[in-house]
Amino acid sequence: MPTARTAFAPALSFPSWTGGRLLLAGLSGLAGLAGPAAAGGPDDGKVHVTYWEKWVSFEGQAMQTVIAEFNRSQDRIVVDYLPTSQIDRKMIVATAGGDPPDLVGLWAYNLASFADAEALRPLDDFIRADGLTPEQWLARYYPVYARMIQHSGRIYAGISTPATIAFYWNKTLFREAGLDPDRPPRTLAELNDYARRLTKHDPATGAITQMGFLPQDPGWWPWIFCLWFGGELFDGRQITLATNPKNLEAMRWIEGFTRDNGADAVKVFTSGAFGAWASAQAPFMSGKIAMVFQGVWYDNYIKQYKPGLDYGVGPWPEAAAGVKDFCLAEADVLAIPRGAHHAREAWEFIKYVNSNNPRARTREELRGGELLCSLQQKLSPLREWSPYFEQHNPHPNIAVFRQLAASPNARATPDIGVWQEYYREFIAAFERVRLLEATPEEALGFAHRRMTESWERYRRSLERHGQVPPAAPGHTP
Amino acid sequence: MNARDRRKFFAGVAFTSPWIVGLAVFTLYPVLASLFYSFCDYSILKSPVWIGLENYQQLFRDELFWKSLRNTLFYAALSVPLGTVVALSLAFLLHRQVRARGVFRTIFYLPSIVPMVASAMLWLWIFNGQYGLLNAALRPLLAPFGVTPPAWLADPTWAKPALIIMSLWGTGNAMVIYLAGLQNVPRELYEAAEIDGATGWRRFWHITLPMISPVIYFNVIMGLISALQIFTQAFIMSEAANGNGGGSDGNPGRSTLFYSIYLFSTAFYDLRMGYASAMAYVLFVVIALLTWLASRLARDHVNYQS
Amino acid sequence: MRLRAATIRFLLLALLGGVALLFVTPFVWMVATSLKPLEQTMALPPTWLPRSYHAPVGNDRLEVTQDFQLRQAGTLCRYTAGEKAGQQVFIPDAAADDGAAGDRQALHRVAAGWWHVTERVAGAEPRRAPRWDIVPAEEISSRIHFHWSNYSEALELLGGGTSEAAVAGGRPRLGFWVFAGNSLVVCLLGVLGTVLSNAVVAYGFARLQWRGRDAFFAVTLATLMVPFPVLMVPLYGVFRQLDWIGTLLPLWVPCFFGSAFNIFLLKQFFQTVPEELSEAARIDGCSEWRIFWRIILPLSKPVLIAAGVFHFLFAWNDFMGPLLYLTRKETFTLALALQSYESQIGGVQWHYLMAASAVTILPVVILFFFAQKHFIQGIATTGSKN
Repeated sequence: MPTARTAFAPALSFPSWTGGRLLLAGLSGLAGLAGPAAAGGPDDGKVHVTYWEKWVSFEGQAMQTVIAEFNRSQDRIVVDYLPTSQIDRKMIVATAGGDPPDLVGLWAYNLASFADAEALRPLDDFIRADGLTPEQWLARYYPVYARMIQHSGRIYAGISTPATIAFYWNKTLFREAGLDPDRPPRTLAELNDYARRLTKHDPATGAITQMGFLPQDPGWWPWIFCLWFGGELFDGRQITLATNPKNLEAMRWIEGFTRDNGADAVKVFTSGAFGAWASAQAPFMSGKIAMVFQGVWYDNYIKQYKPGLDYGVGPWPEAAAGVKDFCLAEADVLAIPRGAHHAREAWEFIKYVNSNNPRARTREELRGGELLCSLQQKLSPLREWSPYFEQHNPHPNIAVFRQLAASPNARATPDIGVWQEYYREFIAAFERVRLLEATPEEALGFAHRRMTESWERYRRSLERHGQVPPAAPGHTP
Repeated sequence: MNARDRRKFFAGVAFTSPWIVGLAVFTLYPVLASLFYSFCDYSILKSPVWIGLENYQQLFRDELFWKSLRNTLFYAALSVPLGTVVALSLAFLLHRQVRARGVFRTIFYLPSIVPMVASAMLWLWIFNGQYGLLNAALRPLLAPFGVTPPAWLADPTWAKPALIIMSLWGTGNAMVIYLAGLQNVPRELYEAAEIDGATGWRRFWHITLPMISPVIYFNVIMGLISALQIFTQAFIMSEAANGNGGGSDGNPGRSTLFYSIYLFSTAFYDLRMGYASAMAYVLFVVIALLTWLASRLARDHVNYQS
Repeated sequence: MRLRAATIRFLLLALLGGVALLFVTPFVWMVATSLKPLEQTMALPPTWLPRSYHAPVGNDRLEVTQDFQLRQAGTLCRYTAGEKAGQQVFIPDAAADDGAAGDRQALHRVAAGWWHVTERVAGAEPRRAPRWDIVPAEEISSRIHFHWSNYSEALELLGGGTSEAAVAGGRPRLGFWVFAGNSLVVCLLGVLGTVLSNAVVAYGFARLQWRGRDAFFAVTLATLMVPFPVLMVPLYGVFRQLDWIGTLLPLWVPCFFGSAFNIFLLKQFFQTVPEELSEAARIDGCSEWRIFWRIILPLSKPVLIAAGVFHFLFAWNDFMGPLLYLTRKETFTLALALQSYESQIGGVQWHYLMAASAVTILPVVILFFFAQKHFIQGIATTGSKN
């Protein structure tokens, strides 16, 4: 009679014990491959600086060209480039994990909060060791960029590529509307007027086919409109979002665009080119929106996606009385995380990128920042430009951007550690206003209240950790 | 314990020892550490400072906490039942001897193994308000009624439903488990019922459903736990829509600000790990509560064979 | 009666077919996108088949991109003087006189509805500005053209490589095979760990009677409810202490220490094996380990396959884990490397993303297609008890 055991005899016998052991041994060999990688880089006697950056495609290639130039120009340091997405978050996690990169490419708006979080290594002592005072170092930049890289009286980064935002308009659409294509609006009133004249509807369905201007395109810096109107978001001590009346004016202006055109119509109109700003279908490039505020990089994208576009670039119209050449300035920056193993060498590269060959007359003679910025089609943050960069710049409209960068009315993100949250709250308020879900007063009031609480909490936290609350910015050139 | 029981005890512990280590190191320690952090002001780069209940007090006053909780519960309340119905229906359709069953099963399972980055981007385009595939199909269907399809991810009212539809596409996992459960229903029961003259519907209601109720219960619980933690799709789609900035915020209008996304923002963009840990604990309690509720319901309706 | 049964079968097939079509459409879309040139991936309205267009530009017939239609009639002119000399511009008839008419020379008339076309230059940055023209629709010819090269380019560019030769002094270009290799290592080791450790643990819960067993199992089930955010930050701290951040270890080593879900799954199955088998072996003097290894494990093939396949499918696409723990590019897995197509500012390279995604899911599709019967049977047998 078959026992229970034989009745369930397996079809496939399991590997014998020795076989299993061999398998395990083989796999642990494989596991060795998956273990901690050899520390440091290849053995070539040089110091390897790990550099994390957010750029891929042509921007990444530009930086890699500069890195090659730097590596060639000396034989002590080699910079290793690693493109990384979500770089701000990854860098924090790596720094907390004790294994940060030596150099990281952040945005200027990260600096305040990262510096407060003690994630970055200040650069002041490096500057001094090179024989300069921080003031002298900062004086080389345009004021708005010099301010951007400081926080709490210390310098935390160098600039890799700066940007200023200018006013772009579609000359073909201007002509069609009977406007002079070479005369952009010079005041806010003119902008509003032009926007109305450049908005067209489909006679059959009533749907919007073209808009003169829409504040949410591209919608990355809606808060700049508050500053443009003469308002302030932060006065150095307190949140002033709802207390400064100019901010409210700006929000009313934003609301006006939806009110004048109908919320549903605008919704349908904007959902078409959803998130596709770097493509031929982008609203400005495809002729859907006639006027837009965009950055110095935009000319390159237009050349790539819509080379036949007839457009103009100029300064911002004047909104606040007497404030000429207002603009938004931003920058990608290079910072050294706290605990980086090769901080000094990383500083050498920052220095390289933040200097230029002031006598360059040909493209081959470009060095450092100007080489990078010319490849990425951006301007240089330094006051002094080489003859080549100034007169033969590959960017067709660089003069406009330089003029704006040098302007005393150029503004950047507020120097406040809770900027990430402030920015999200502002976007939320902006969304509510432009979708007509709340009045400007309600939206700003709500955001103001949340941010005031958040700022108080932040200050308390800094006190708790023995860091004094941030003082007024020092080293102002 | 006598000697024999002690031997058994050691054998038991010996066999479960890998799990004892794993549980202690990878689950219990983090759970306790998180509890500690939730009472601290902790920003991952500076050492934690004890602040007692302050995080929890702030949490219950925080409008975004409530909003994200509401968004998440809405999503779970719709996606779990709908997902169950879809997965069950597909399992039924495939349970019979249908031609090319293997091909169909693969097609239905496929979506759950597509990398989230790719499928999120894919659906971003399908949901495009003006030119997306979905609206291209819906527009002619709705036109006779004078209705236009919504702008989906650009409209605060329709963004969550869009994500729910996307989740239905990924029910292949649950479907496979239901298929397995259906296989377990003994044929004899069906045959006996047929002999007794029961119709298809009665067979379904009185045999199939009770027999697979444990599987349904299991899937619903796992589905609920997973739906309450929804993160990746909403994060990628919201980020793609808004470009760089202060992290995704569930726009438009924070309608897709789910609990895990707000938690993530607070932890990694505002660098407030203590607050995020408090949020994580509250989520834990919510999950435990809902699971317990579901178990109470199950006791009356779920049928275990022994 | 037979006709009715046949009709029902046919209707069922039709219903299944319809639903399958709905499910498979996004995939078709993905593959279609992967074969298009970049400018057509986001064409509005969407198209299914990639095309290449040819049109007369100046005096030549070139491959072009079809940009947009002109709404007004006008004239295509070229500047002959001034700072814009050499540039083309479209002047609508309705335009106001801008005083620069003298600087321009008319090239040809344009009617409303004509298309603006631009010379299509392959490669990232054109050396010189591409030529463009405005032509009537009839003069544009199109044919279907699949860009199979997207696949090889996508794989080459995976992980953020550049299309230029590796820059002097930098590390060699990493490619698809490195990332696939990492994914494979993580998945295979994870499968091994999952299958081995959970089988051992489940045996302890299912086949042995010992004090505290049921309470311990209840705690095990309870851990299924712990949401990931609770674990996230302290787990990172644990791996930091072990110095494993930046390596692949955090992704597969924990699999060797059990997981609640798999313990539950395997325990259910082990409980279906008749107790008499174990008893007979114990009477024969076998140790518990021998019973486990020689009797229970061989019988568990279906459910072990199920658990292994489940884990492989999960680990292959897992991106949260790699996102948190991996810092060096050489260690990236495929799922993580796919993120590299999302440039922060430059928009998404859709065609490459879809091509790489298609390649990434291919192994798991094949795995599932061939393993599905075992897979489902394995789960099924956990429910049956005699």
